[in-house]
Amino acid sequence: MEIRKPGLGAYVTATYPNKVLFLNAVKCLSEVSDFLEVGIPTLNPKYDGPVIRKTHFAAELKGLDAINVARYGTIPTILMGYIEDYANRLELVAQVASEVGASSVLFPDLLFEHIDRLEDYVVTMRNYGLRPSFFVASNTPHRLVNLLVKYEPLFMYLGLYAATGIKLPLYIEKNIREVKRLVDGTTLVAGFAINSPEMVRLVINAGADAVVVGTALVDKLGNGEECRRFMMELRGGLA
Amino acid sequence: MIPHYWYNINVDLPKPLPPPIDPYDGDSRIALLMRILPSELLDQEFTALRYVPIPDEVRELYARIGRPTPLFRAVGLERALNTGVRIYYKFEGALPAGSHKLNTALAQVYYAIKDKAREVVTETGAGQWGLAVSLASSLLGIKATVFMTRSSYMGKKNRVLFMRVYGADVHPSPSELTKYGREALRARPDHPGSLGLAITEAIEYTLMGEGRKYIPGSVLGFVVLHQTVIGMEAIKQLPEEPDLVIGCVGGGSNFSGFSFPMIGAKLRGEGFERTRFLAVESEAAPKLTKGEYTYDFPDTGGLLPMVKMLTLGHDFVPPPTHAAGLRYHGAAPALSLLTREGIVEARSYGQDEVMEAARLFARAEGIIPAPESSHAIRAVIDEARRLPRGSVIAFNLSGHGLLDQDFYERIVG
Repeated sequence: MEIRKPGLGAYVTATYPNKVLFLNAVKCLSEVSDFLEVGIPTLNPKYDGPVIRKTHFAAELKGLDAINVARYGTIPTILMGYIEDYANRLELVAQVASEVGASSVLFPDLLFEHIDRLEDYVVTMRNYGLRPSFFVASNTPHRLVNLLVKYEPLFMYLGLYAATGIKLPLYIEKNIREVKRLVDGTTLVAGFAINSPEMVRLVINAGADAVVVGTALVDKLGNGEECRRFMMELRGGLA
Repeated sequence: MIPHYWYNINVDLPKPLPPPIDPYDGDSRIALLMRILPSELLDQEFTALRYVPIPDEVRELYARIGRPTPLFRAVGLERALNTGVRIYYKFEGALPAGSHKLNTALAQVYYAIKDKAREVVTETGAGQWGLAVSLASSLLGIKATVFMTRSSYMGKKNRVLFMRVYGADVHPSPSELTKYGREALRARPDHPGSLGLAITEAIEYTLMGEGRKYIPGSVLGFVVLHQTVIGMEAIKQLPEEPDLVIGCVGGGSNFSGFSFPMIGAKLRGEGFERTRFLAVESEAAPKLTKGEYTYDFPDTGGLLPMVKMLTLGHDFVPPPTHAAGLRYHGAAPALSLLTREGIVEARSYGQDEVMEAARLFARAEGIIPAPESSHAIRAVIDEARRLPRGSVIAFNLSGHGLLDQDFYERIVG
């Protein structure tokens, strides 16, 4: 399943704030998003900002148990986890992802701290009928980005800022343009601190194929109507 | 010719640089950066560009202070050693504050003023950085406040004096002005200070008043970026590619600024294929040779985000040494990564062997080297004696030592 372009994705941490509200959120977001990212709750969400960190700590279930409470796949769904939690259990994550209907597993720490597992990761994804996907920062080495594109990933995820939900005074358009040039035709998804249709428009106009909203959605997850309204408002930025 | 671009090595590294992270306690340090740093510097910290344009105004300032700095053939040192090795050095001590620090001080003060700052606040070890910030602030018409490690404040009185001549307020650190300073003094009344603690005080002081911006002297990516003006010039000036490139390391900005444009060319396969790179540190703060590669705070108080680097621990207090500019617990993340990957070699020296090198260099070349730079000179001398005849060494003489009276009094007894 490919990511729609231009597309809007939603990030939720599995079983946050609890199992029931999470299932409601998945149902609702599947109707108003083009793709879904589901976080595997971890005790060490180190690259995340304070809001997403709280969702990891407060999730009702931890690890892959939290993922298993739902079935996904009406829209492309990507699991997001930290590979340091699954260094020796990559196959298990891939198996669970495949069983629940996900298209890929994105590990934000793969390239930064476990690059020696890159080949393992790609092979494992493919063995389970999944596509690899890669998280890069704006200053990721250009040659590495060129190499990653050759693995034909589902998408490249560009973290626009240093951590989720923390907006810094960066010229993100310039960084998006530069990374877009490097990823060539591969789908470029951008995220971190996306919170308004204006920002969606800016990121898409700079060259991203899709954007993901996470932090700004957290306080709306308990209320289906509010959540739907917010996503529809953000969709306005895609036009 | 002054370069038009600074060079960002992050996009050429063999592995990506792990991002800065927040610890789990307290407020977000990453969010704090927005309040304390000039915004353009944050953009540069995370830029995707390989070459970052130097603003025309900063290029003009570089010209006013005497850039490009000279690249000398060390004829006198070559004769004294008589090893048949050719030696070149870039002389950053030719700048009016006496060290390379002015390259980033001018840029940072310029960006602070663009953000409407009325005052810049910083830390300093030996005082080279503090002096550079004081000079830059004076040229650009803004107030500077400097927290100087107490051991240096007592030992480097001339630097304190000249910072004041430029109009800066200088405080020994730990000081009574901040919470962290007061706590450190209570725990240890004779506290010699450390660069990590002075950083914490400078940040706390920045947050205490309006219109203040904090500007750091080393470690962070944009500092290293600005210092690459040294290496960009050197590549054009060197008549031949060196076999060995050497520089000293406190936080890493002078070594990195000199060598990164050459290392980048090597990593891209565009030259310097046979060149080795050697970083020289003080035995008083041996992070490159004995540190752990892990996430740690750049400052003692943990006010800044954690970065992955070679570190001795943010609470490490290096013993006093005359090379106060090298008394720092960590090394810049990109330099740490390159050292871990074996692309940069590292070595540490003790004070006595460095003094001998400083004396030899002063007599052979006529330039009194800074104690910090003398670490690089020690390595140059040792390597020149080891390398085959006809080899070429280039090093960065990051500063002169004309204000390092304490160091030279010990040398001449």
